[in-house]
Amino acid sequence: MKKFNLRLYRHIREAKGQFVAVSMVVAVGIMSYVAISLAVMDLEVGAQKYYELNNFQDVSVELMKINESGIERIRRMPRVESVQGRVFFKTPLEVEDKDEKVNVGISSIPEAENRINDLYILEGGWIQDGRRDVLVLEQFAEARGIEVGDVVHPQIGGKEYDLEVKGIAGSPEYIYLMEDEQNLLPQPTKYGILFVSEEFAQQVFGYSKSYNEVLIKLKNPDEDGIFKDELEKELERYGVQRIIRREDHMSDRIVAEEIRGAKQMANVIPMVFLGVAAAIIAIMISRMVKNDRTSIGVLKAIGYRNRDILMHYAKHAFIIGAIGSLIGVFVGYLFSGPMANLYQEFYRIPFKVRIFSWNYLGMGFLLSAIYCIGAGLWGARSILGIMPAESMRPEPPKKIGKTYIQRITFIWKHISFSWKVVWRNVFRSRKRFVFLSVGIAVTFATALMPAHMLNVFEAMFYDQYGEFMRMDYEIAYTKPLSEHSVMEIRELVDVTGIEGKIEFPFEIENGWKSKVVSVIGLKPDTEFYNLAGSDGGILSLSPGGMLISEPMAYILDVEKGDIVNVKNFIPFKDDVRIKVDGVVKQSLGLNAYLDIDFMQEKLLDEGMITGVMIDSTDRVKEKMEDVKNVSSVNSLEDLKNIFKEFTKLTYAGLSVYALFAGIIGFAIVYNSTMMSINERRLEFSSLRIMGFSKKEINRIVLKENLIMTAFGILLGIPLGRWLMELLQTSFQTEFYTMTAPVETNSYIYAAGLTVFYVLLAQYFSSHKIKRLDFIEALKNRIT
Amino acid sequence: MAGKKMLMKAEKISKYYQMGEVEVRALEDASFEIYEGEFVVILGPSGSGKSTLLNIIGGMDVPSGGNVFFRDDEITLYDDSKLTMYRRNRVGFVFQFYNLMANLTARENVELASEICENPLEVDLVMAEVNLNDRMDHFPSQMSGGEQQRVAIARAVAKNPDILLCDEPTGALDFKTGLSILSLLDKVNKKHGKTVMIITHNAAIADMADRVVKMRSGRIISDKYNEEPIPPERIVW
Repeated sequence: MKKFNLRLYRHIREAKGQFVAVSMVVAVGIMSYVAISLAVMDLEVGAQKYYELNNFQDVSVELMKINESGIERIRRMPRVESVQGRVFFKTPLEVEDKDEKVNVGISSIPEAENRINDLYILEGGWIQDGRRDVLVLEQFAEARGIEVGDVVHPQIGGKEYDLEVKGIAGSPEYIYLMEDEQNLLPQPTKYGILFVSEEFAQQVFGYSKSYNEVLIKLKNPDEDGIFKDELEKELERYGVQRIIRREDHMSDRIVAEEIRGAKQMANVIPMVFLGVAAAIIAIMISRMVKNDRTSIGVLKAIGYRNRDILMHYAKHAFIIGAIGSLIGVFVGYLFSGPMANLYQEFYRIPFKVRIFSWNYLGMGFLLSAIYCIGAGLWGARSILGIMPAESMRPEPPKKIGKTYIQRITFIWKHISFSWKVVWRNVFRSRKRFVFLSVGIAVTFATALMPAHMLNVFEAMFYDQYGEFMRMDYEIAYTKPLSEHSVMEIRELVDVTGIEGKIEFPFEIENGWKSKVVSVIGLKPDTEFYNLAGSDGGILSLSPGGMLISEPMAYILDVEKGDIVNVKNFIPFKDDVRIKVDGVVKQSLGLNAYLDIDFMQEKLLDEGMITGVMIDSTDRVKEKMEDVKNVSSVNSLEDLKNIFKEFTKLTYAGLSVYALFAGIIGFAIVYNSTMMSINERRLEFSSLRIMGFSKKEINRIVLKENLIMTAFGILLGIPLGRWLMELLQTSFQTEFYTMTAPVETNSYIYAAGLTVFYVLLAQYFSSHKIKRLDFIEALKNRIT
Repeated sequence: MAGKKMLMKAEKISKYYQMGEVEVRALEDASFEIYEGEFVVILGPSGSGKSTLLNIIGGMDVPSGGNVFFRDDEITLYDDSKLTMYRRNRVGFVFQFYNLMANLTARENVELASEICENPLEVDLVMAEVNLNDRMDHFPSQMSGGEQQRVAIARAVAKNPDILLCDEPTGALDFKTGLSILSLLDKVNKKHGKTVMIITHNAAIADMADRVVKMRSGRIISDKYNEEPIPPERIVW
């Protein structure tokens, strides 16, 4: 080995703690990048493969009724490759626990070959006897323990059917199973899909030779936008409720959102970590160059070129990056497997897809090399200015004036000697002060994230199911019923409050932006929805005016005063242009709200409602069990419980961020302290000679670090707040908005965690002071 | 000097530093020649400009005015990269405070220099010449000042340079150790024929030189041959 390289190797070995700490920061950044990128790629390719294998729809249509000849008309449209009619209805499922309300979607599946949205049989076989066999969706079967050979009991039109489970299947349509947009979290025990023969579905739902849904594959899937317009015209007479393009398909949309979010994370996390590592490396190398000034002069005198010396220090930085990224790439690759499995478990893709891509591994390595070498060269740039002759002379002592605090003589007089040392050093080493404070601020802001996100989720769900929606139960009908049904329910159940409502999908357009959303018709003086604006002021529902939720305002780019177009697919009803009267503070769900009478008159039929909301302490679920035309009874309490389960899972995920914050904080404080001790060997040695114990010197360093930590935390508060706002904006999807303010307990948690990491770093660097040979330090003239 | 080839020539070199608003004249119109195989001592009190002179001759610094020649080449015309090559292959430096790399052993310190040169000497032989065979694997912190200076001399000699430039080589050593270092430099000069230039404020050392250049306040005040140089063992201070 060249002796110059040997010097580098020994240098690294001597400061191995610092080396490891920075390498870890690089490793975590690259690990996150590789693990997330590979796992997301597996998910993306897996989903794509699943879609291709099982012929996933490009467009689907929900309509009142369409017969075979209607299907034929669609088939003849030039852009259509294939088409398939389907009968689909939600019905209750009889289960052992009478209190438990379980719904299933009954979906017909044809005998034909090349089925659209074909099933992936995981267990058992295909439907044999079309009149009594059923296939059950995997997630639902697993959650409810349904096995091949079991009998399930859906209630259809008030009649209970006994259907034998012939197989358990996955479906590309239900990679992520959601009952509707209002229920963001999957509840596989409460809602599932049963696949039955076409013959059975048509018979029990009264759709002889006809369907209420159409699935379409296009010759060119990219033309689904133009096709949608063509289809609207073609199907005018069939009572279209909504046309769903691939990008609006709920399951696909959720998967796409996950992939988008994860890719964003895969890009942001390594940038943060590599940025921190680069900052540490740049400062570390610049301090090293400063300390090595004479050595560098000697090397130049011996005949080493500027670029040899520059590369020597850049190599140091590169090795940190290389070791860190190799560990990161390796561990990231190892983690990507379980992570991809988790993804493919959560998003049900029945087969495992593992793709190995050198690109991500290579990119991980390249990224860290660029950051680290760049930082190394930046830190070492002062080498160019070192003249060998000058460097042989000792540097003239710095001109040092009084620090700010020394000028306040009243305070300065009353400070003990050791505190004077502390304060003087804090104010004198300004670069170190800035570096440490900024580093601590980044740590604090990162630590703030898990605490805040939990608060945000809690606020989001508790606001939605406590503040915003205030009913005890929501009862949905299988079809629109007369308002008299409210009276019938009032007779069946003891209620303290009851209101009818309409919830019906409509497409809302604002210029070129459009979205199919649930439009809700309510009484203007409704007690069950808190229709308040973001300032807390109550918004009123008036005839001819519309209120919209925050996520919808975000998606359609609509604000108060805009006029939107409500597309009406109901036969003999026209589109309606409505003015937006306000944006409702609702973080979850895409909804629009109308006065119920206005909605009935303009969009549906007068006197019709699709469900009721009630306040009751009665046994509502039990009493509603056998009621005809009721498709579901949901209590707000159930929804809250689901959320509680969900938060438990989130804790684990968020704690990873706390650990990330720790690695950053530790690396910054540890490195900075080690550099400081190294540079202050003479000062500490003098203190030792004056009679200070090692413990007392350690305490001086600790006090300095804690003062800078306090400044860092103060700086971290606005930084954290800004970061959280950024995060909230980037997490904003069409399903929810996050707007919770950062709470005091989150700040306290983040500050506590930051101080813990600082103390940990202090503990690990204290050995350097313990091992300080002060006599050697004082007499040393070796470079 | 009849019969000897000129190795270096300085013509009216000067060096000015700007320190705030004051211009410091470290060297003014210094001219002299060094011949191959000479043992030259530059003598002067501190601040007389001798270190500046050595730095300019050694290619570590550039003059504000004047010309410096190495054989027929004018090094004052060299760019940074040529100066580096000049230092690498033509000059060996010995510093007052040894300036060894702390994390390299004695042998490795010597190899650090020898492995980048065009025509280095065998490291083991050089280490033997400076009497450090048994200390080769020791780190500087495990060695005495005298031993460290021996390593520094070995480092300079191993490059097989044309001239050895020594800046107060005995300045940090006691009398006895200082003498041993002077003997070693004398050996390098006499036995190996290397040109040696020592700068010092210690007038006693001038007695062993072939030529003594005296300096004061940035100027050369005398440049004389020593008719009877004495061996270093007889020097006393």
